[in-house]
Amino acid sequence: MTVWPAIWLTLQLALITTVLLMIIALPLGWWLARTTNPVRPVVEAITALPLVLPPTVLGFYLLILMSPDTPLGGLWVRVTGDTLAFSFAGLVVASLIYSLPFAVQPVQSAFMAVPRMSIETARTLGATPRDAFFSVALPLAKRGVLTGAVLSFAHTIGEFGVVLMVGGNIPGRTRVISIEIFTAVERLDYATAHALSLGLLCFSFVTLFLIYALGRRGAARLG
Amino acid sequence: MLDAATSIPMEGITAISGPSGGGKTTLLRVLAGLETAAQARVSIGNAIWQNADTLLPVEARHIGFVFQDPYLFPHLSAGENIAYGARRRGIRQFDGVIEALDLGGLLNRSVDGLSGGEAQRVALGRALASDPKVLFLDEPLASLDPARKAELLPYIARAVIEARVPAIYVSHSTDEVTSLADRVLGLAGGALTGWRRPPMRLTAHVIACDDKTMRVRIAGAPESGEGDLTLPLAARVGERVGLGLPQESVLLSATRPEASNALAILPGALRHEAGRPRLSVWGQDLRLPQGDWHGVGSRLWLSVLRVLLRPEGIDSQR
Repeated sequence: MTVWPAIWLTLQLALITTVLLMIIALPLGWWLARTTNPVRPVVEAITALPLVLPPTVLGFYLLILMSPDTPLGGLWVRVTGDTLAFSFAGLVVASLIYSLPFAVQPVQSAFMAVPRMSIETARTLGATPRDAFFSVALPLAKRGVLTGAVLSFAHTIGEFGVVLMVGGNIPGRTRVISIEIFTAVERLDYATAHALSLGLLCFSFVTLFLIYALGRRGAARLG
Repeated sequence: MLDAATSIPMEGITAISGPSGGGKTTLLRVLAGLETAAQARVSIGNAIWQNADTLLPVEARHIGFVFQDPYLFPHLSAGENIAYGARRRGIRQFDGVIEALDLGGLLNRSVDGLSGGEAQRVALGRALASDPKVLFLDEPLASLDPARKAELLPYIARAVIEARVPAIYVSHSTDEVTSLADRVLGLAGGALTGWRRPPMRLTAHVIACDDKTMRVRIAGAPESGEGDLTLPLAARVGERVGLGLPQESVLLSATRPEASNALAILPGALRHEAGRPRLSVWGQDLRLPQGDWHGVGSRLWLSVLRVLLRPEGIDSQR
């Protein structure tokens, strides 16, 4: 089946995006959860933008940002000899922005649920702020962090509009599953479209089910 | 705004007492480093914790802090909670603390299965297990009902005194202060009101126990039993105990009362020192409240109606 490159590409994209996103979301979510800085709602609004903006708006601005005339796009061409747009790296950048709220929001909520007194108590017991984060806050926020990771992963797998605009539908390079389905329908290859769509549907269901099942187990333990 | 300057001896239990909202909790938190008051100067011995140029963060001060609520870490068992601070200070063994607080049976329990009193006991054990330089306690009994309070109070005393950790104890309860404190600092309306008269307390030893009561003998009292009291069981044979005498539960009379319901009637000698009235009971010195005392050297009888017990550990262990 010629769709395996697309599946493999999609998985790679989702995995790399998720790992990078968690590295961004953990400190950002922690900061948002604890800060009293008046700039907080600004940061929260920016983080949430991808939730409400049409993917084509994001895609359009990203294309402009990545064009070789801009500082970012130009730097990339000089360093790699390749344009950022229409490349796998470009997809990663787009996915990072597009899936950001799916990572940050559950993480931030989870950190907000960690009692301030728990951190203070840890510090009276000799834990530095960093130690308190890893030994108390993170374990207590485990479920939210996991939810953020799973949602980012699933969301990146499903993205279409931004990926099409920024990636350009290049087979083996930027043609992910969602695009593959689109092109299959365009050429009336409903068999392939069915296979991929059903696959994605099952995958999404299993993902969401896992998240809700996790939530159930946590609540049952408390009750 | 807090206006305070004083020196607190680093031994025994120092109570900071005063009405609610007077700034006691703020003072404790600034001493511990949980709050930064820009103008504060805090030092312990030769070590400077805070001055104009330096601010040592709380985790570097090697203190223990017990709050009004236990704030145990829910993702760790009771035993792991207790080990949390000790591990960070490189302390591997804290059996003394576990024993003094009767925590052995709770070690494997999960945090949400503990009662309020048990959780607070674990919190105290956690603070003490790391062998702190100072233990701060901010109304540790305030969220417990009277029965749990009475149950936990002797544990606090014994654990702190046996571990020889100086403690600074904030409370607005006169009973807690009389029970525990060696000295009392007053704080009201954000300003220190000075050292108060320390609680009257007699040292005694437990000479016998059965399953409900114990017999204690006041140190210096004769074997004939004049200085013996029978109290509800709260300490072990051979243990040293402090008998706190609440001011309103003490009767002083010039003649020996007969046929009364007093727990004990003790002979005392009244004298004045630096203008302050003192009563000597078998060589132990009690500070009396200021009042109209006349007749230096005159014999007074002290009738005790209620005693607040402070277990202090067995002498050989301290």
